Amino acid sequence: MNSTVAGEILLRDGPNELKPPKGTPEYVKFARQLAGGLQCLMWVAAAICLIAFGIQCGQGDLTSADNLYLAIALIAVVVVTGCFGYYQEFKSTNIIASFKNLVPQQATVIRDGDKFQINANQLVVGDLVEIKGGDRVPADIRIITAQGCKVDNSSLTGESEPQTRAPECTHESPLETRNIAFFSTMCLEGTATGIIVNTGDRTIIGRIASLASGVENEKTPIAIEIEHFVDIIAGLAIFFGGTFFIVAMVIGYPFLKAMVFFMAIVVAYVPEGLLATVTVCLSLTAKRLARKNCVVKNLEAVETLGSTSVICSDKTGTLTQNRMTVSHLWFDNQIHTADTTEDQSGQSFDQSSETWRALCKIVSLCNRAFFKSGQDNVPVPKRIVIGDASETALLKFSEITLGNVMEYRERYKKACEIPFNSTNKFQLSIHELEDPRDPRYLLVMKGAPERILERCATIMIKGQELPLDEQWKEAFQTAYMDLGGLGERVLGFCHLYLDPGQFPRGFAFDTEDMNFPTSGLCFAGLISMIDPPRATVPDAVMKCRTAGIRVIMVTGDHPITAKAIAASVGIISEGSETVEDIAARMRIPVEQVNKREARACVVNGGQLKDMETEELVEILKMHPEMVFARTSPQQKLIIVESCQKLGAIVAVTGDGVNDSPALKKADIGVAMGIAGSDAAKNAADMILLDDNFASIVTGVEQGRLIFDNLKKSIAYTLTKNIPELTPYLIYITVSVPLPLGCITILFIELCTDIFPSVSLAYEKAESDIMHLKPRNPRRDRLVNEALAVYSYFQIGAIQSFAGFTDYFTAMAQEGWFPLLCVGLRAQWENDHLQDLQDSYGQEWTFGQRLYQEYTCYTVFFISIEMCQISDVLIRKTRRLSVFQQGFFRNKILVIAIVFQLCLGCFLCYCPGMPNIFNFMPIRFQWWLVPLPYGILIFVYDEIRKLGVRRHPGSE
Amino acid sequence: MSKEEKKPFSQTMAEWRQFVYNPRSGEFLGRTAKSWGLILLFYLVFYGFLAALFTFTMWVMLQTLSGDIPKYRDRISSPGLMISPKPVTALEFYFNKSDSKSYAEYVSTLKQFLKSYDDSKQSKNIACTAGKLFEQNEDRAVKQACQFNRTKLGSCSGVEDDTFGYAKGTPCVLVKMNRIIGLKPEGEPHIQCSPKEEGKVQITYFPDGGMIDLMYFPYYGKKLHADYLQPLVAVQLAINSSITKEDVTIECKIMGSPNLRNEDDRDKFLGRISFKVQMSE
Repeated sequence: MNSTVAGEILLRDGPNELKPPKGTPEYVKFARQLAGGLQCLMWVAAAICLIAFGIQCGQGDLTSADNLYLAIALIAVVVVTGCFGYYQEFKSTNIIASFKNLVPQQATVIRDGDKFQINANQLVVGDLVEIKGGDRVPADIRIITAQGCKVDNSSLTGESEPQTRAPECTHESPLETRNIAFFSTMCLEGTATGIIVNTGDRTIIGRIASLASGVENEKTPIAIEIEHFVDIIAGLAIFFGGTFFIVAMVIGYPFLKAMVFFMAIVVAYVPEGLLATVTVCLSLTAKRLARKNCVVKNLEAVETLGSTSVICSDKTGTLTQNRMTVSHLWFDNQIHTADTTEDQSGQSFDQSSETWRALCKIVSLCNRAFFKSGQDNVPVPKRIVIGDASETALLKFSEITLGNVMEYRERYKKACEIPFNSTNKFQLSIHELEDPRDPRYLLVMKGAPERILERCATIMIKGQELPLDEQWKEAFQTAYMDLGGLGERVLGFCHLYLDPGQFPRGFAFDTEDMNFPTSGLCFAGLISMIDPPRATVPDAVMKCRTAGIRVIMVTGDHPITAKAIAASVGIISEGSETVEDIAARMRIPVEQVNKREARACVVNGGQLKDMETEELVEILKMHPEMVFARTSPQQKLIIVESCQKLGAIVAVTGDGVNDSPALKKADIGVAMGIAGSDAAKNAADMILLDDNFASIVTGVEQGRLIFDNLKKSIAYTLTKNIPELTPYLIYITVSVPLPLGCITILFIELCTDIFPSVSLAYEKAESDIMHLKPRNPRRDRLVNEALAVYSYFQIGAIQSFAGFTDYFTAMAQEGWFPLLCVGLRAQWENDHLQDLQDSYGQEWTFGQRLYQEYTCYTVFFISIEMCQISDVLIRKTRRLSVFQQGFFRNKILVIAIVFQLCLGCFLCYCPGMPNIFNFMPIRFQWWLVPLPYGILIFVYDEIRKLGVRRHPGSE
Repeated sequence: MSKEEKKPFSQTMAEWRQFVYNPRSGEFLGRTAKSWGLILLFYLVFYGFLAALFTFTMWVMLQTLSGDIPKYRDRISSPGLMISPKPVTALEFYFNKSDSKSYAEYVSTLKQFLKSYDDSKQSKNIACTAGKLFEQNEDRAVKQACQFNRTKLGSCSGVEDDTFGYAKGTPCVLVKMNRIIGLKPEGEPHIQCSPKEEGKVQITYFPDGGMIDLMYFPYYGKKLHADYLQPLVAVQLAINSSITKEDVTIECKIMGSPNLRNEDDRDKFLGRISFKVQMSE
């Protein structure tokens, strides 16, 4: 292969990397932000404004450009909120992009007869590459030469055992054969060279990844909620607008005027700031979660986690630490428990026995794994080891208990060794002794316990070699069964001091002929290993349980191991039995057990294959505690679908490529940030940076909190729509001078009220949300009838009265009595009438009346603001009294109220405002007029909350 | 989430009918009659209370106001100007001096407007000292008004010429200043009009120099000062029709008083007014 040809092929095939799933083009994403339900309404309103302005121009009336301003303002609102939403989305997509570019992968390639280190994405089909232990396979490779090469295919096939790779073709299927190594799998040990046969998306993993993108992304529950709500709002806006359009026509307004009324009602009724509020609230929570190591790709996913009722969790890496660790030892006829905590903070066992010293020696010496150099300052559990999982576990174990193993091995020089292979099922090595005067050789051996036992004649108990009689054999069997039953991988260890007469120093040991004894050895003990659960997981599973969330384990691992881990983390709770357990306890055949008595159930992939979907749904209903073992990617997908059929909102956690279809299918897919493959991360909605299951619980809590708080925010936002709408209704029907202008409404919606409504997102939970059941997506809506009715017809009504009181006060004090105002509209707005008389006989020009009208706008605006301050206070809680919740505990909310007041003052008293935004400086007492109504709102709501607390159940 | 299956139309209709009226539970629109009644009662009480509160606060507020002078007069610190007759659409006069119909409306408006200035109606008003503000004692329940005789308007008074000059091509327009309670003009206020293009129009003022006498100020409000008569300035335009075929724009301003503004950018009628006249023969 020479580099020019490689360059040509690179041009032809494109770079060797997975193309991110075909995203929507950016302009479509942006356009989508501009074309939501509410946005469309606003476009219509803006269009009406422009038309009205156009007609006015056509009629030669150039006096008022209000309609033009309003149209521009509306378009600006839509575009700005659209940009904002787009930016939020863009930012969260970027987080993912940054993941990928973090570590550019390198590969060793042989081109033009020389070795090069190049970026893996530059590789092409036909390149000769070298891989060694610790590398990621850079493309699909056909192996040409290999030395003890093992790869980890777990992310592709779910097999957790390392697979040997060799040049021989052993199977027709590329997935089964030994001479193909797959893109993005890990090479664990050994070296190999191979020719690239596929690159980029044409690799096996690329194909699975593109398969996953075929699974439709489900709409998030919050998206459904918001859509539901926007539909209602848009419908009501059109209904109100339409009704009053007809009313206006019937009363006798000209068509154009009626259209402008329609537009004004739409502007007044549509909560323009709502979508921005929701986005900000969600992104605040997303930020909060990011600090706790959950990165959210899709903002709406924040809430989805809160409504989750089932979590299908992968075992390896999520519930467990994803590293084999020595957990138990059996020597001196006793099972000892080793420390399996992540930071080695647990209790150690008694290490004084002679047998332990012998066992420890075997463990340290009969081990081919070694630490990568230059890690002396790294804590032992975190050091990188070259070697397979069990040997790594043993190496770390002896490093911790014994000290410097590398140096120890130096002292006992290795004379020869036989690596583990599947026919022997043992591994042995022969070492010189540390003491140069002792000429003996030491033979150490480890392997499958039953094979080791066969080769032993004696057993070491308390440092004494005793003959291995039936009694000891039975003891061994019991221990072996016990440890195996815990789902642990058990290894046996034995040794023999060779006779110095027969094997003097410098004896040529031959590993092929085995010219040394391999039987009659001395049995030292058993060591069992497991991938232990993370320390935080049992607690997190418990929390899920109290929160009414079912945790189901779905794993590719063995049923026994899966069950053991499930039991130790609490997925199968204490005292729960499977059908098999009951059968064993009652000594009856499995068929006779009443299946309903079994709370727990372990189903393996084989059983699952024969099951109908209905059957699976039935099983999921019957047993609350489920473990699925030995499952394939397809089966994971089926399990998720079955849960969804039961009406559950399903979260799936996973890390491998094989999980990606299920991650995509789930309502929320959670990928692991450290162990996760790119495909999994692409398919997921959320990424756990620390691979920690407990982070999911944090996510659930935050999700529930944001749902509650969004409810409050929306209630707050909705309330003011009524006092914004009523001025128009009164204006049209009673013909008073307009109390509140459209521009002013936009200021309330988008300026002063945004911060308080966002600040409600910082509100603490009222009760322990993690003790409630997950919400029922069908029943517990974001916006329900009761909430809307209460906001609109009660609080909103009070606010309207406050506004009108203040409006009439301001009018009367300037000379226009309420009764005069009624029916005054036509004269008031007639710009040829420059001498309109007020109640005192004074004559006003049109300009003077206009400023008076602006004063009314401002006064009404201030009234709404004052009432909204009261509103935001009552919205802090839904059941508790505000006094119980604490007025000042939510600092952001207090700041928001102060900010709102300052903004109100600024709008009123900043010079130039009257002519730009129609705000007038108003008298101090007009700030106070709405106060009694504000207090009324507060007291009224406290009474309601008292009622709710006294009579729970009635909302 | 499971997707909602499409329901057949008939079923949807049946569900709707069920919703509108459910004969089994007697529910109407999802609620029983009793439940509706309770809700209705609740809102009746609720809104009744709010309305009562509203009425009460309005009443209290009105109690604090005097019927004579408004609480605040800061929105109208300076008066606007207005003319009579006032054309319906815009301030544009179109007439043909030989066609009496074309100006009949203007003439009748002027006649109507000047009726209250008839000498016979002014007998109860007093003659005041010219050139001085006519301030009246506060304890006087009914304020007196100064006489403004129609004759002060000279040839625009309609006494001699009952077409107010329209038939002769010298139309009269009355300029008046908006009433504002308590307004006390300073200096020597007078109306000054000028055509946009010089020389097209000759303007004669009645009274002389367009003077507005201070004795007509201040105004005490329509309740206390029922007989009050606004001072008027008549402007007679002699349009040189041989030169002018198009319309002429006249702008009138109040001058000579520092506290009467006449140059507000936004309000084109504050202390000034402009109108168009087009005369044909």
